[in-house]
Amino acid sequence: MAYIGDSCVMTGLGLGTGVNYASMKAYKTGLKVTELPGLSEKPLPVQTIERKPRSRKLSRLEWMMKTCAADVISKSGTEASSERTGIIISTTKGNIGELGTGEPEDGSRVYLWNMAKNVAKALRVNTEPIVVSNACVSGVAALIVAQRLIRAGRYDDIIVIGGDEVTTFTTSGFLAFKSVSEKPCRPYDKERDGLSLGEAVAAVVVSNDKKKSRGTIIEGGGMSNDANHISGPSRTGEPLAEAIKQAMEEAQVGVDDIAFVNAHGTATVYNDEMESKAIALAGLGVKPVNSLKPYYGHTLGASGLLEAMIGVEELKEGKLLGTMGYETPGTPVEVNVSGKHREVSGSRFIKTASGFGGCNAAVVIAKESEAHRSSSIVPVVKPKRIARCRIEGGIVELNGKIEYDGRKDGEEPDFGTFVREIYHSQGDNNLKFFKMNDMCKLGYVAANYMMKGVEHGEYDMAIVMSNRSSSMDADLQHWRIVEKGEPASPAVFVYTLPNIVMGEMAIKHGIKGETIFIVDRKSGEQGREYAKVLLGSGKYGKVMNGWCDVVEGKYRFEAEIWSR
Amino acid sequence: MEQLKEQLKQHIIEALSLEDITPADIDNEAPLFGDGLGLDSIDALEIILILEKHYGIHIANAADARPIFKSINTLAEFVSANKK
Repeated sequence: MAYIGDSCVMTGLGLGTGVNYASMKAYKTGLKVTELPGLSEKPLPVQTIERKPRSRKLSRLEWMMKTCAADVISKSGTEASSERTGIIISTTKGNIGELGTGEPEDGSRVYLWNMAKNVAKALRVNTEPIVVSNACVSGVAALIVAQRLIRAGRYDDIIVIGGDEVTTFTTSGFLAFKSVSEKPCRPYDKERDGLSLGEAVAAVVVSNDKKKSRGTIIEGGGMSNDANHISGPSRTGEPLAEAIKQAMEEAQVGVDDIAFVNAHGTATVYNDEMESKAIALAGLGVKPVNSLKPYYGHTLGASGLLEAMIGVEELKEGKLLGTMGYETPGTPVEVNVSGKHREVSGSRFIKTASGFGGCNAAVVIAKESEAHRSSSIVPVVKPKRIARCRIEGGIVELNGKIEYDGRKDGEEPDFGTFVREIYHSQGDNNLKFFKMNDMCKLGYVAANYMMKGVEHGEYDMAIVMSNRSSSMDADLQHWRIVEKGEPASPAVFVYTLPNIVMGEMAIKHGIKGETIFIVDRKSGEQGREYAKVLLGSGKYGKVMNGWCDVVEGKYRFEAEIWSR
Repeated sequence: MEQLKEQLKQHIIEALSLEDITPADIDNEAPLFGDGLGLDSIDALEIILILEKHYGIHIANAADARPIFKSINTLAEFVSANKK
């Protein structure tokens, strides 16, 4: 059983889950109209944290993460340094504010694994941090990963931390996407015209020890991919509905057992439209729904975790916070939303999230007193390997044989030439290929090789990928434009998330199962272990797992497809 | 006007990395999105950026741009009427 223990959040509304929840009950929002010089002509509503870091060693974000997590560790009495204590960090961009225009040195905390290491060290956690960087579903995904690792017996306690900051890097990109509203965001409302941005940190301990429980458990989780578009959400809502259904199935609950849904509700036209369809498809159309974005804005890698922790407070009190700003229904399928707080009764709620790269995630959180027992997961130790591909040094190796040799007179071709030649040799005809950034091109051609002859059900295959540099290549490209004061390019910005490569693979091969990206400093070990747990969970018949990294023309791909 | 159309095609090919496509391959009347060139929502945002950068035209809402982005013809008409 994955019990939810003490939590702590830090936002513009204050420090502490209780402090935040009390402010929200008083209809206080953290969104404040803020001047964004050089970014936007008009001031925009943004939710920021005004605290200054009290550390010379840690970055601002690291310090905030440490502050929240240390509170959780001390309140719960968790033995941080135990080898049975894990740490999962959920973030999209980490310390991206410190990125320069050149490739950072190895010790730089711009690398997510370095940031995670700094936080773990400050907390005296000894186990290797697991960095989940999966766009806007990161926070919910981190809870699901924690629940599964606990059920698989890998750890006794896991400190889950989510955090992202408001930076010029991300704000410029969202502005280029024309997805930021000039007014505080209004999820599901007819007048909604975009999201508001915010920053936050949230931490919680997930434990197999009933004594650490603060009354709720993670009863079930599900993830899916739209396999439709890398930035636009699904037009049908079916993949998110599937993630919700899987979470409910794992929790062994039906629609009647659900008290409310805390949805993603970013207030962009298409996201809310998609969610309205998904909620109805999952049979939850009558259930009260809310979005907490009017209080916090979109806090990216923190949002899923932050909102789930507020959801826990709502469930315990039987009060559903109003979706401030909501007045007139504005989605194709009506959603049961209210601008005012409402009384709700029941013992479970669902938290959902959706993000770039086509990913969706949903968890069922239940009151401990009424929760079903979840079974333990036995990881598949020696999974059956059905495909293996390595692309490195101008050579493609497929299933142990050289499939393509791009070297001319022993000379290695440059990456651009090499990957283009591979693509042409595959006889693929997809204009979109040339628009992809280098990391996606590499993953794309590799998946073409590996998926040849591999049959899979739509939702029966998952992808778990890792690398060292996250989306550093695209990050540098984006930052070199923005740093000069030029407007950001949407076609560059969209690739500043590592999980997009799996989105491209998913679109091409119709893979609608879970796609999750774990940043790892060296070997992809964390992702590999998780892939084994995933196979053991029985959710998927096949899992692709491996490594895909390209930075400034230096590249390496190595992955396998495993079958149960 | 013909020169402007040619120029727009060049900008589009460059900004959207349309490999193996020359301005001559783009029909002035053919739809840019969907079946024609197969452009999508991210490409639409890139075209908005082209209009800002090269012609000083600001489009705040991507949805407003839909009729303008129908074809090279409609795009060229809009640019010549609005450029600064």
